[in-house]
Amino acid sequence: MKRIIIDREKCDGCLNCNVACISAHEEGSNFYTVNLGSVDSETRNFIKFDAKTGYTPIFCRHCDEPECVLSCMSGAMEKDPVTGHVKYDESKCAACYMCVMNCPFGVLKPDNKTRTKVIKCDFCEEKQDGPSCVKACPKQAIEVKEVSR
Amino acid sequence: MKIVIIGASAAGISAAKTIKVAEPDTQIVVISKEDSIHSRCMLHKYLGHERDAKGINFVHENFFAENNITWLKNTTVVDLDTDKKFVRTNDNQAIYFDKLLIATGASYFIPPIPGLREAKNVYGFRDLKDAQLLDSECKTAKNAVVIGAGLVGMDAAVALLERGLKVTVIEMMNGIMGLQLDEKSAEAYQQLFEEHGAEFLLSDKVTSVNIDEAGKGRTIHLASGKSVCADVIVIAAGVRPSFDFVEKSDIATKNAILVGDDLQTNIKGIYAAGDVIGISGIWPNAMKQGKIAAINMLGEKLRYEDRYALKNTTNFYGLTTLSLGNINPKPKESFDVLIREDRNNYQKVVMKNGIILGVIIQGNINSTGFWQYLIKNKIDVSGIDKDVFDLSYADFYKVDSISGEYLYAI
Ligand SMILES: Cc1cc2nc3c(=O)[nH]c(=O)nc-3n(C[C@H](O)[C@H](O)[C@H](O)COP(=O)(O)OP(=O)(O)OC[C@H]3O[C@@H](n4cnc5c(N)ncnc54)[C@H](O)[C@@H]3O)c2cc1C
Repeated sequence: MKRIIIDREKCDGCLNCNVACISAHEEGSNFYTVNLGSVDSETRNFIKFDAKTGYTPIFCRHCDEPECVLSCMSGAMEKDPVTGHVKYDESKCAACYMCVMNCPFGVLKPDNKTRTKVIKCDFCEEKQDGPSCVKACPKQAIEVKEVSR
Repeated sequence: MKIVIIGASAAGISAAKTIKVAEPDTQIVVISKEDSIHSRCMLHKYLGHERDAKGINFVHENFFAENNITWLKNTTVVDLDTDKKFVRTNDNQAIYFDKLLIATGASYFIPPIPGLREAKNVYGFRDLKDAQLLDSECKTAKNAVVIGAGLVGMDAAVALLERGLKVTVIEMMNGIMGLQLDEKSAEAYQQLFEEHGAEFLLSDKVTSVNIDEAGKGRTIHLASGKSVCADVIVIAAGVRPSFDFVEKSDIATKNAILVGDDLQTNIKGIYAAGDVIGISGIWPNAMKQGKIAAINMLGEKLRYEDRYALKNTTNFYGLTTLSLGNINPKPKESFDVLIREDRNNYQKVVMKNGIILGVIIQGNINSTGFWQYLIKNKIDVSGIDKDVFDLSYADFYKVDSISGEYLYAI
């Protein structure tokens, strides 16, 4: 399967990945028009920063053994047997947030505005040329690679 | 090989899925006494008319056909013969197996309070059938009483309020969701429920129920001397593992079906998973147990190790809470209890000697999944020089260089 491989050393915390993610999930927006101040603007990837740890890119791993899928009581989270990616179906989700609790890496979160869905990486599945965050990274700190399952 | 699975809920379905992925040629028969697949965790959405029965199904519409699994619905297992290896059903079929998984979950319990068991308008809130019966009561009833303010009771209350009933919740403890919340975080929910019309009678106990000519429980008497009127009563005072049908067999039980680390019972080839084994009562654990039992039934040797079950998330009226572990430590003095709050958030961490024992995060629960890992693995955080509330997965970050998956650096 394809996974976004992270090289933490290369990350300089520019947050282009965040902007690209928000824009990719906002109909009709691009880097210049995306409204970062809107409550709807939610990034699916995060860069944590503090003096001790430096920049830490936290991106959904679409895990081989996804705890989010195993904790989902509505069937909204599913590992796609073909792509290996963990897909999320908002219409099924009951917003119980067991997945938020069970993701050991703290990747998942409720949406800020309504708390009725989960904000989750979809690997930009609808885009021909792959995840938007990867395309936006000027440092090649994140790259799509084929990994075995 | 032929595997029979009794139960078509979290544990049973997760086992069936696992087997079909690993060894698609295995013959599987799933038996359930219900006629639909549904997630109990969404019953309140059904009763509240937010979703129909299809909307609370947690598998694909054609799950059984797609996976070539035989599903005997509306079928109750009444007996088990461990020698000849078959189960007997209510319609007197003998279903033979090479291996068996018991995933029959739990059932609600009506305490032996005078009048309560006899009353015809008392319902549990466990199966779709319960929700359907309640649904038809809701068409005429005006006053609902919910006995028990745990998660199940509050799920029922939220739906009944949604349907416009006047809802009174009776609870023995002095706060709602007493196993998941502390005083402060419980008050936040209580206030929200009250704003939506609920009334609470806390630190009180039902002593008897008066029954009218029609056999309905109408007046509920409490230890405090108070009484409440009811058209419909929901009992949410706990559940018990359900395994009647093994009683005549030699399967070892003790209030639950006993299993080893491999989730096998005392009888070789017979496994059990989910609420019926009595070590947890939550969906994620039932799913994982079903998966591990399935893998072992196929001949692997996997142990059920991720046993941590003191965990929950709550989401009522958009107020979200994560709660883990020991959140009301006693005596308080011998623990470090740290609190951080602002107008939208309440956070509490219970620690001892650098080990986190309990956490409540109410409000913003973004990216809080790492807390469970720290608690269940008893990770010492005393060496990390920062405010405990500022911890995140970044403090334990590690990447597997080949797979790119995350690990914990500890
Ligand atoms: C209202 C409510 C809300 C909940 N909310 C949450 C939540 O938000 N998060 C969470 O983690 N957990 C929640 N839970 C708990 C969760 O639903 C259970 O832990 C989970 O369903 C356990 O799954 P299980 O497969 O072990 O058994 P069950 O779900 O109890 O299913 C048992 C299955 O066995 C079948 N069965 C039983 N006896 C027989 C028999 N003799 N013959 C044939 N079939 C039989 C039944 O038909 C059913 O298919 C909730 C529970 C309730 C009732």
